[in-house]
Amino acid sequence: MSATAAATRLRDRLTTASMVGPALLLFVVMLVVPVCLSVYLSLTDWNGYSANPALVGLRNYFDLARSEEAIRAGWVTLVIAGVGTILLSVLGLGFALLVNGASRLNSIFRVVLFYPHVLSALVVGFLWSAVLGTSGVVNGFLTTRGAEVLPFLSNPTWALATLIGVLVWAGFGVNVVLYLAGLQTISKDLLEAARIDGASPRQTFLNVTLPALAPVVTVNLVLSLVSLLKTYDLVVSLTGGGPAGSTQTAAYLILWDSFHNNALGFGSAQSVVLMLVTGGLALTVARLRSRADQGVKG
Amino acid sequence: MSAIRLARVRTNVAKPAPVKVRGLGRIVFLTVTSILMLVPMYLLVVSAFKSQQDILAHPFSLSPDLLTTEYLQKAWTNPDFNIVKGYAVTALFVVSVNLLSVALAGPVSYVIARRTEKRFRVLLLLFVAGTFIPSQVLVIPVVYTLKYLGLMGTIPGFVLFETTLTLPFSIFLYAGYIMTIPASLDEAASVDGAGKHRVFWSIVFPLMKPAVVTMVILNTFSVWNDFVNPQIILGPGSGLYTVTTGVYAAVSQYSTDYTVVFPTLLLAVAPLLVVFVLLQRHVISGLTAGATKG
Repeated sequence: MSATAAATRLRDRLTTASMVGPALLLFVVMLVVPVCLSVYLSLTDWNGYSANPALVGLRNYFDLARSEEAIRAGWVTLVIAGVGTILLSVLGLGFALLVNGASRLNSIFRVVLFYPHVLSALVVGFLWSAVLGTSGVVNGFLTTRGAEVLPFLSNPTWALATLIGVLVWAGFGVNVVLYLAGLQTISKDLLEAARIDGASPRQTFLNVTLPALAPVVTVNLVLSLVSLLKTYDLVVSLTGGGPAGSTQTAAYLILWDSFHNNALGFGSAQSVVLMLVTGGLALTVARLRSRADQGVKG
Repeated sequence: MSAIRLARVRTNVAKPAPVKVRGLGRIVFLTVTSILMLVPMYLLVVSAFKSQQDILAHPFSLSPDLLTTEYLQKAWTNPDFNIVKGYAVTALFVVSVNLLSVALAGPVSYVIARRTEKRFRVLLLLFVAGTFIPSQVLVIPVVYTLKYLGLMGTIPGFVLFETTLTLPFSIFLYAGYIMTIPASLDEAASVDGAGKHRVFWSIVFPLMKPAVVTMVILNTFSVWNDFVNPQIILGPGSGLYTVTTGVYAAVSQYSTDYTVVFPTLLLAVAPLLVVFVLLQRHVISGLTAGATKG
């Protein structure tokens, strides 16, 4: 009796293992091990070739704290992520409210607002650099009309603003769709009740719609933040990190240092910091928001 | 009495007017925004049919004397970037990653959704934590892991890594979705003698269709559009290129020759845009479903 029970339990465990095992194995080999490897490499002076890299302790991290280039890339990344997240969320919610409701026209607007997200960031960057570059379409047009050329990509401040603008152009459609999903979950009865109570559209929005959207706002903020902190492809094709490094993001510098400068140890230290900052910021936003959600409910 | 009636009459008369004006303003505003959103795409399409000089002097013109298919043909037969091969390789990756991702993420999500023990909660957290790791950061150590496994620069190596990147969000979405499917369904099947694998694939999996469709759409976009991972893992040595890495090779050296840039970019985006326009309703509703479940 107990022998068959034990056999059943064993078989049950083997079945569970066969369902969990393959995914877990791949995840560990291709994600957990590399992350650990990254932490280990960040403590070495490895150049990518030498057989026995020397352990140098935290030297790469001290170098990182002193590296003007890395600190600038860090700030550029934070500006992109901060400004970008705010713009994506505000525009996302604004346009979601405008195209909410089932009509043929609204579905066309949704598709048009969303379509740039389908294009690869690399292609988007090349396209916009052909449109806004020094000898690009817009400036070519201005030149033939005798007007002055605009430095969209050739002035450091303009280039960063252009980069953020293109990121927002390409990405806010996703936020629109996510907010639309949230708007659909708000009960019609609640909106009806607010209307009967004589609430103005503005009051309804502030007291009914916005609180009900709180979880969607959190999801949007975290997703936008995480995706903007890894901005890379667009930098490669739109600005190449220039002019004068003004649009180099953390991800761009990490790959540059690791593969062009052969400073893998230093690149790995930057990777570890970027991972910690990404995880930390995402969790902070989620936690602050969950306090805000509870504040609304309580 | 009469005061109340008067008030009612007044609201009845006053209400529709502002709503209508606002409705018209809304449509005008959205139309202008939509046109602005489409300007880059319009320039991409018309510039692919023009000479360098005409692109710069008459960017918006659609005059037939300016248009020619010469440059598009050149891009199609570019000896440095065989676009048809790029499509084929990318499509192969998209299909393999989707199949493998569903095959791996499905069963593990089922276990996570149905088992209540703490270790399965921890497993879910472990997978979800993967979402916060930027893949560009990961690709450096992955290169050395793949080298160690002898998979660097190979199709299996690339497909396995891309599949791994899909696991965190897939498992999160699938597990959440399976929890909404009543467990009594699978209990009935297992009483009838079906094993767990059988129960999952023939009872639960067909019911997960909306979640799976959403993930397949998201994975298709992300694999098709990925640049850094194919660029680094497949590398120039392998002779394999996707649409994006091929575009990079073809465009980055000729970035101011717009008769190369625009036609190449048009060929790169055309298939995905066509698919998107045909399936847009499913894409957007799939994303919407994913967002509310998640």
